[in-house]
Order: sequence, then C-alpha cells, then structure tokens
Amino acid sequence: MPRGPATLAALRSLLAARFPEKTRRTGGGPATGVAAVDEALGGGLPAGRLTELVAAPPAGGAQLVLAGLLAATRGARQRLALVDGADGFAPDAVPADHLRHLVWVRCRGAEEAFAAGDLLVRDGNYAAVVLDLRGLAARALRRRPATAWYRLQRAAEGGAAAVLVLTPVALVPAVPRRLALPAPLTLADGRAPRADLAAALAVELERGTAAAAEELAG
Amino acid sequence: MNYAVLWVRDFALHALRRSDPALAGRPVALIAGEGRRAVVTEAAPEAAGVAPGLAATLAMARCPGIVLRPRDPDAEVEANRLLLAAAFTLAPRVEFTGPGCCTVDLQGADPARTEAGMRLRAAELARAGLPARIGAAATPLLAAYAARGAEPVRLVADAHAFLAPLPLAVAEPAPAQAEILRGWGIRTLGQLTALPKAEVGRRLGTDGAALWERAAGEAIRVLRLVAPPTTFIAEWDYDPPVESVEPLLFRLRRYAERLALELRAAGAVAEKLTLRLFLEDETEHGREFRLPEPGAEVDLWLRVLLAHLETVRTGARVTGVRLAATPARPPQKQDGLFDTGLRDPAAFWENLARLGALVGDDRVGTPAPRDTHRPDAFALGKPAETVPAPEPPPVHPPRGPVLRRFRPPWPARVVCAAERPVQLDSEPACGAVRAAAGPWRSSGDWWKPEGWTVETWHVELAGGGLYQLARTADGWSVEGMLD
Repeated sequence: MPRGPATLAALRSLLAARFPEKTRRTGGGPATGVAAVDEALGGGLPAGRLTELVAAPPAGGAQLVLAGLLAATRGARQRLALVDGADGFAPDAVPADHLRHLVWVRCRGAEEAFAAGDLLVRDGNYAAVVLDLRGLAARALRRRPATAWYRLQRAAEGGAAAVLVLTPVALVPAVPRRLALPAPLTLADGRAPRADLAAALAVELERGTAAAAEELAG
Repeated sequence: MNYAVLWVRDFALHALRRSDPALAGRPVALIAGEGRRAVVTEAAPEAAGVAPGLAATLAMARCPGIVLRPRDPDAEVEANRLLLAAAFTLAPRVEFTGPGCCTVDLQGADPARTEAGMRLRAAELARAGLPARIGAAATPLLAAYAARGAEPVRLVADAHAFLAPLPLAVAEPAPAQAEILRGWGIRTLGQLTALPKAEVGRRLGTDGAALWERAAGEAIRVLRLVAPPTTFIAEWDYDPPVESVEPLLFRLRRYAERLALELRAAGAVAEKLTLRLFLEDETEHGREFRLPEPGAEVDLWLRVLLAHLETVRTGARVTGVRLAATPARPPQKQDGLFDTGLRDPAAFWENLARLGALVGDDRVGTPAPRDTHRPDAFALGKPAETVPAPEPPPVHPPRGPVLRRFRPPWPARVVCAAERPVQLDSEPACGAVRAAAGPWRSSGDWWKPEGWTVETWHVELAGGGLYQLARTADGWSVEGMLD
C-alpha cells in the first residue's frame, strides 16, 4: 500500500476524478491593488471562493482595500457589488470615476446583508462581491447559523465572482483564506498619497498559506 | 393556406380548470341544469366512465370523487381573450368565431414563419392551460375542419385528399339529410363530393347544395373582424376572499400570460406594471413596478410581483385584483465593439428588482456624487448596462485613509483645549485625543433655508483609531472612521 505523499496524491486524483466541479482550479479574480493583500492571496481575490478580511477596531485599512478593489475593477472594466451591512460606504471618499461600475446595496442589518449577498453572488455579472459586515454588532453576527455561511460558500463556488467578506471579528467558518489587519492607522497617514498607504499596509494571513493561495488562483 | 382556425375542444371545461388550481389533475365535469335534471355537458379525461349527456347522479356513481361544476362565464371570457391574443400574434385580421374558436386571415403572411408561429402559439396556449388545436387551409371552413383533427397543428395543402376520408358528420348535415344520404350509402365527404353538385341540389334542394359545398370545403364567407386590444388590463375577483399569496400568484400568472400575449401581438413590451389589491375592508393596496428591463416575459413579471407580494401585509383579505401593463416600444440597442456589457442581463435586472424589494428601491444602485461640497451628498442611479472606459487618473490623486461613515452620525461630547479636541466621548469611540488635524470649515446653500455650515476634524485616539468629527450648529458628532 502506498504511503505518505503517494497516498495523498492518489487521494487527490481520486477526488478530482469523482468531483471535478468541486476540485476545479478557479481562475484568478480581481487584484485589490493592496500589495500585501494580493501577495497573501497569490495575486488577487480567488474567483468562486470566499475570502475573509478581519478588521477589528481600531485596526485600519479595510476601507483602503475596498477603495483599491474599486480602482482595480474599474481599470479592468469589471462590475463590483458592495453589500453594505451597516450602510457605511462614503461615495465622496473615492474618485467619482471609481463608482461607475459599482452596485451599492445599502442594508440595515445582517439579515438584509445576507439576503442581498446571496442574490448577488449567484448573479453572474460581477467580478467581485464585497460583503461588508463591519459596523454590525459582533454578537449578532456570531449568532448567524453556520449554514448561512456554507450556503454563501456553495453559491460562490458555482460562479465566477470573487467574494470578499469584511468582518469585525473572525466569523466565516471553513473559509479558505482569512486575512487580518493588525495595526491602526495614524494621523500621519492622513497626508500620504493613498497609493503609498496601500503599498505600506500590513496584513496577516490567519488561515491558508500563500503557496496554497497561488495554487488556488491557478 | 389563407386562413387559420384556433379551436379548443371542451373549451368551457378547460376555461374552468385553468382558473382554479384546486381542479388540477382531478376528475372534473361540467353540468347543465339543476337537481336531478342536471346532466354532464363536458367531462375531463380523468373522469372515467363519464360522458356528455350522462345524468349528474349517474356520473357521481360511475366516478367517485368527481367534481361537478357549472360553467364559469368569467373564466370563459378570460380564456377567449387569451385565445384572441394568441390569434393576433399570427396576423392582425382576426374573427372571434365563437367560444373557444378564432379564425385568422393569413393572406399575405409568410407561410414558413406562420407555421412556426402557429406551433409556438399552440405550445404557449397549452402551457397556459388552454390546449388549442390550429388548422390552416385555403378557406375558413377547411381550416376549421383541419383544426378539429390537428395534433396540435395541421396544414392542409391538398383539400380533396384531406376531405375525402372524413365522415359525413363533419359537414353537419341535418338529421333528415343524414338519413337520406345514409340510404344512398354515402358515409364520407369524399363520397358525397364525388356526386355532381347540381344533381345533389336537384334531389335535396338548396340545403343539399349547401351541404355539398360544406363537404367540399368551398364555402367562402367574409370574416367578422374584431379589433385588437389597445389597453392591457386584467381584473378579477375572489369569492371567497383570499388571504395568502399562492392563490394570488396562480391567477396573476394566468392573467399575465394573456397580457403578455396581447402586448406581443401589438409589437410592444411592458415598461411598467401596476398592481392593485382590493381589500375586504373596502380599502386598496396599489403599487407600480417600473420594470428594470422592459419586456413581455411572464416569468420576469411574476418574479418582480412576487418579490413585492412577499413583503406585503394587508389589514384585510383580498377580494379582487387589477393588473395593468403600460406598453412601450421594445428597446433597440447595438452594443459597442469594445463595451463590456452584461453577461446575463435578465439576471442582472431581475436581481436588482429583488434587491429593491428587499432593501428599498432608493437604497440600491450606482452612486454618483452631487455637484456640491456638502458632506455625504450623492445620488443613487440605475447601473449602466455597459461599463465605460475609465477616465484618466485625477491630477491630484487621493490622499489619506478612506472614510467609512456612521449613518446617522454618532452624537459626541468633545472637550477642547486651545480650540482643539483633546477628549472624545461617544458611543463608537471614546478616549483621549493623541493628535488632531483640522479644522476644515465648509458651508453652502446659505441663500436657502437648508443652508449648512460644518467644521471637520480628524482625530487619532490614544487607544488607536482615526475618526472624523463634525461640529455643526447642533453640536459635535462622529461622522465616521478613517480606515
């Protein structure tokens, strides 16, 4: 009986043969324009997968990642959907041209956000769907049944959209990639060009490895 | 192939069954008369052993569980309108020949396209619960004969070959004529038309000559044309009133199918749907739906209507419904060679409509800043069908972290020293201010009653976190987090 790596390789081939849809390599999704995030994800958000970005206050930079994603998808003329759980997005904080491909859903809570996310992830017209749950009570978010997340993951698997979930605490069970923003921004950052801030933003990969992320991105 | 006839066998029964979801798949029969005199006039195939002419009591004995109903005039009117709408999609000259029967003048129409259209309409009508048979031939009478034998479409090119084997009863002879002809040994139309018309006329009179003409399919008549509908409205009542969505949806689909066909016959699509629910307490609930993409697709309409109806709570039961479609010309567009359009436009607009129903139409869309310096001033518009090419990067690229707003802003108590914030106390954040930048003062609309003035600060708290504060005439507030 083969042992070690040979067994693993055989198991992978068996799974790939039996479940080609589940084991297919998804194509690379849009880049976020934030070097540390793209590096951690192997080039960009993986299409057909959920990626969680944890921004526990006062850690900062999640909105910077969102602005980078807006710019990157706009440059590629792709569509972006933002499900804004706490209605916090400020259109006047980004260049007006970076909004022309955006569909913004201003929700009033987690219920609406999950329902809207479920619709948009299945839509098929978006390169990326951002589910922003920051600003919602962490306690209420933790009460969401795990099946809600699994449903979202299954919906994402069938489509071409990369799904980025912005959370105040680690929430998504069995998420393939989880990143965390470790440090708050300072007032001195307020005078720096946004591109420099994005380049200097630090990100920690809490779940998954860079190599696996590259493999996932295909 | 100058005429087509759309005909529905057991029309009254089909009209009743398509109006009542409870009758689906059940043995049903129509009865006429009351009490012991009631007899079956039409019976569904599921009603085994029951045939027209059978007494209602016998029908119940032969088929336990049979549903006996009188005719439903409203359902028949609606079914006739559906049949007429289907006929108008084939050609504009249509005669309402009788209940469950329309004759269409096809002269001048392209035969190949017409045949494809007839097959399509027959399939659509069958899906709508009205299995019509369509016959096409050189004369209205011949087309009517063809329709009776169609499965579901029959085109007659050689009239003589078609008519010859048909039984004599097809030409509807009077009983006396049928008796005489039976004595002559004549059983089929072909046998009758093999006799000279003049000789038949000499022996059976003018009625005999007319019968011979009917048997030959030669009877030509002028169609009594009806005008196509110019308004697209369906209205119906519920007795007893209903209190759940399911019965509403069943009838909505039935009536929407007719409206969609009428619109298509008029070469139009719906740009807006208007739904009114009439309630038992004599109030009404109304809502207009501007369709994200004008169309005549029933499924799309129903998804939009359902998304709304699922959120409606009325104070009383629904006694009636009115659905109206506002017609518009079909959208014509040609995409640019390098435009990045929608992969699935139907899903895109449908999901936007569903999102609108979920969070409110004014809370979904593409934001665009307003032409003002007033903070948080933007408009949400309809997303573009194609993503335009990006503009050149701005001369002054954006600087600093990106604001994430708290809507509404959190009221705050701010302690200042030397006119600069040094302590912040509010719900989302509180603590000593390590550093502050500002103030940035702005104002506008001073010539209007809604004039505004605001002083903005950026503060970094000692415990971490960057916040944007605003000071207005109402006091301090935390506008958002710089993130």
